[in-house]
Amino acid sequence: MFAFLRKNQVPLSCCFCLLLSFYILTAAARGQLKNEPLGAVLMWVMRPLQIAAQGTVHWITGLREDYDTLAGFRSENERLRKRVEHLEIERQKLLEAQATNHRLKQLLDFRGRLPGSAITASIIANSASSWFRSCLLDKGSADGVRKGMAVVTPLGVVGQVVAVTPRTAKVLLLTDANSGIDVLVQRTRARGIVSGSLENGTVLKYVKRSEDIQEGDRLITSGTDGVFPKGMMVGTVIKVSKQHLGLFQFIEVLPAVQSGRVEEVLVVAAERADKQPAPANFP
Amino acid sequence: MRLFLLYSLVGIFLVLLQSTFLRLLPLGPIVPDLVLVLCVYLGLHHPTVGAAVGSFVLGYSIDVVSSRLLGLNAFAMTLVFLSVYFSSRSIWLHHPVVSSLVVLFAALVKGVAMVLVWVIFLSMEGFWLGAAKYIIAEALVAAALAPFVFSLLRRGESYFKKLGAVA
Repeated sequence: MFAFLRKNQVPLSCCFCLLLSFYILTAAARGQLKNEPLGAVLMWVMRPLQIAAQGTVHWITGLREDYDTLAGFRSENERLRKRVEHLEIERQKLLEAQATNHRLKQLLDFRGRLPGSAITASIIANSASSWFRSCLLDKGSADGVRKGMAVVTPLGVVGQVVAVTPRTAKVLLLTDANSGIDVLVQRTRARGIVSGSLENGTVLKYVKRSEDIQEGDRLITSGTDGVFPKGMMVGTVIKVSKQHLGLFQFIEVLPAVQSGRVEEVLVVAAERADKQPAPANFP
Repeated sequence: MRLFLLYSLVGIFLVLLQSTFLRLLPLGPIVPDLVLVLCVYLGLHHPTVGAAVGSFVLGYSIDVVSSRLLGLNAFAMTLVFLSVYFSSRSIWLHHPVVSSLVVLFAALVKGVAMVLVWVIFLSMEGFWLGAAKYIIAEALVAAALAPFVFSLLRRGESYFKKLGAVA
């Protein structure tokens, strides 16, 4: 008997534990387990440890919540940053649209004051060579643009169409060495030719030494060349020099239109001076 | 005596861990049953009366801390120990995969025992489907953790033995 117990002590102790737990279960289920000492002892041992551990857990949970909150702020910040970027792009587009609208309105007003027909065009490319001053328009012969037509803006003369394709037109700018525009000095009505030059920028040529030309004098188109309407602003005199010898004065001119800053232009076909109406009130 | 002290401390630590820190793991309502792994370890490596009583006490500790019905986990853990005790006679390999499989089996035994006791003492509607999900999930998690816990316990045990030899 003793040998049997000794041999099967583990299974027997397990069975005892199982019976004990079953008894506890039954008693607990019936509500008869009021004062059980083992639970009290275990709780007495566990309680301070539980409190300490739970405190640590709360600390870790708090830390994690703080991190989550911070991560939330970060994502919110990221979202708002993207929103600001988006709005900034929108604002930029609106400002650009507003500026374009303003320019086109000016162009439209100006177009109404021009004699003859005018075609609105955009500059799509500038000169690819440093030897020439030209630009390319997005309108061509299919839109009514012809070789020799004047290219202007409300500020003044830009140049002249020198070549056309059905969808594009090449413009020789006022500042090119090969260009030449017949002009009048607005104050004295002295005549000359405005042309570009490789060494001195834009110059006024063929003005007699005897003519009274001063810095700041405004130059306007004469209208006699059959290309540009009369009275359009060409530029302003910035330097006058008379050499010892020679028939003419040397005059440097600042063009009224900085071609690099122009985006939209009007292409106009001017009538001959003798057929033109009275000069429009150009700026 | 030293081993008794070691496993008492480990048991308290695991109950503490299960009732506090392991709740932080992102496993939803599933809490890794490390106490079960300890009971399996005791059943495999220390099949003694003390270990059987220890399993009962461990289960009872969980009951005291968290169970709605006292004795539920005590019953289940004792049954786990007993089943592992009997199966350990035919297990000769000490390999992480084997330990995982034994823990998986033990977890299933525990789950079934819990369900049976639950049905007898706490009948609830729609209990079976939820219980099956919990049993499988708990068993898989416990089996996954078993090699790691076993290794830690083995190291702790050898460290305690060395400490005893030095003393």
